[in-house]
Amino acid sequence: MSQGDSNPAAVPHAAEDIQGDDRWMSQHNRFVLDCKDKEPDVLFVGDSMVQLLQQYEIWRELFSPLHALNFGIGGDTTAHVLWRLKNGELENIKPKVIVVWVGTNNHENTAEEVAGGIEAIVRLINTQQPQAKVIVLSLLPRGEKPNPLRQKNAKVNQLLKASLPKLASVQLLDVSGGFVHSDGAISCHDMFDFLHLTGGGYAKICKPLHELIMQLLEETPEEKQAALA
Amino acid sequence: MSDGDKNPASTPTPLADVQGDGRWLALHHRFIADSKDKEPEVVFIGDALVQLLQQFEIWRELFSPLHALNFGLGGDGTQHVLWRLQQGEMQHIRPKIVVVWVGTNNHGHTAEQVAGGIEAIVRLLQEQQPQARVVVLGLLPRGQGPNPLRERNRRVNELLEARLPRLPNACFLDADPGFVHSDGAISHHDMYDYLHLSRHGYARLCPRLHALLLRLLGEGQGAGP
Repeated sequence: MSQGDSNPAAVPHAAEDIQGDDRWMSQHNRFVLDCKDKEPDVLFVGDSMVQLLQQYEIWRELFSPLHALNFGIGGDTTAHVLWRLKNGELENIKPKVIVVWVGTNNHENTAEEVAGGIEAIVRLINTQQPQAKVIVLSLLPRGEKPNPLRQKNAKVNQLLKASLPKLASVQLLDVSGGFVHSDGAISCHDMFDFLHLTGGGYAKICKPLHELIMQLLEETPEEKQAALA
Repeated sequence: MSDGDKNPASTPTPLADVQGDGRWLALHHRFIADSKDKEPEVVFIGDALVQLLQQFEIWRELFSPLHALNFGLGGDGTQHVLWRLQQGEMQHIRPKIVVVWVGTNNHGHTAEQVAGGIEAIVRLLQEQQPQARVVVLGLLPRGQGPNPLRERNRRVNELLEARLPRLPNACFLDADPGFVHSDGAISHHDMYDYLHLSRHGYARLCPRLHALLLRLLGEGQGAGP
């Protein structure tokens, strides 16, 4: 059982400003302000896989209409996301669905630790946003050819498949299929740098993700109907 | 005078594969392989600001019609671009223009060192691609508010603007359309993480670059064979 203390991936940790322009904190502060101003029904939180999604047309087509906010920060690990969620990015809002996508940048951690970090995020969300249904996206394969990180990410997904069903209001959406070809290669057409998705790559995962979000939104009691009366 | 040994920014250096999936080298080899049967008129080389440009519609609108290739790699500093060029990344092609946009990731280097690194790239291109005009794009401001990196990038641009005119076939373009507002802030509408450009940021920046490329291509014959 991984307690927060013994798993570094499950210990909230703010990013240090190594470069000198404090961009991580600026983005976090902007997200905290968004929570004060906005009323999202759907919240996306995670690393650059989340952040870049908002740069493509598909975000405006599929997720803006759902009143979605994007709290992705490139380079983030589970520890960074935990810190952000504990320090204001879950305050003043009451989203119906929260999408969590993080873990591929946890280079210092084992697959077990990464899975533990993601579970810690889900448990935190359950406590602070008990009404929210959580979708955890699987980690994607990476690198042009087979390499240890693919195995590690697959192992994280495997662990989550076993552990997430034991937590409340959360499900794992496995979108990792369809990227590795029969020769073991990943194409630049899906991931322009063998890690980050192209528009075409995002289209593949956003279809099932959007469907699931719509399903979960429809299941939620419509408090708005009562307010409109 | 920047001696390669003394200036880390002008010492060709491969990017170490610390993550473990060999992506940087894979992309470098892909650039070489994919260019074997292409005849680009324009090649862009640099860091993520170059690489990400190709993910937006504006690439197809403005630069694909110019038969452009994109050799951008996120995270690259001048020393990494130098290494890629030295290792023959452009060995199969002879473009008319090479656009160089790199330097913002040279952490730990002084403005003088970064400028020296960019000059080394320009000189290497003049050797390898004597027919090409080299367009060096100025470094953009970064960070939400004023910070030392803005000052360093500004100083790099100042040095380049003074020195590049002395190099044959090279020119400097400051394509910043005014990303820093009067209150010193950069908007996330232009740079979603206060470093990388959004679609909106590219739309503000690219027209001037595009106009320059059209002019240079129209002027045509530079130092031809």
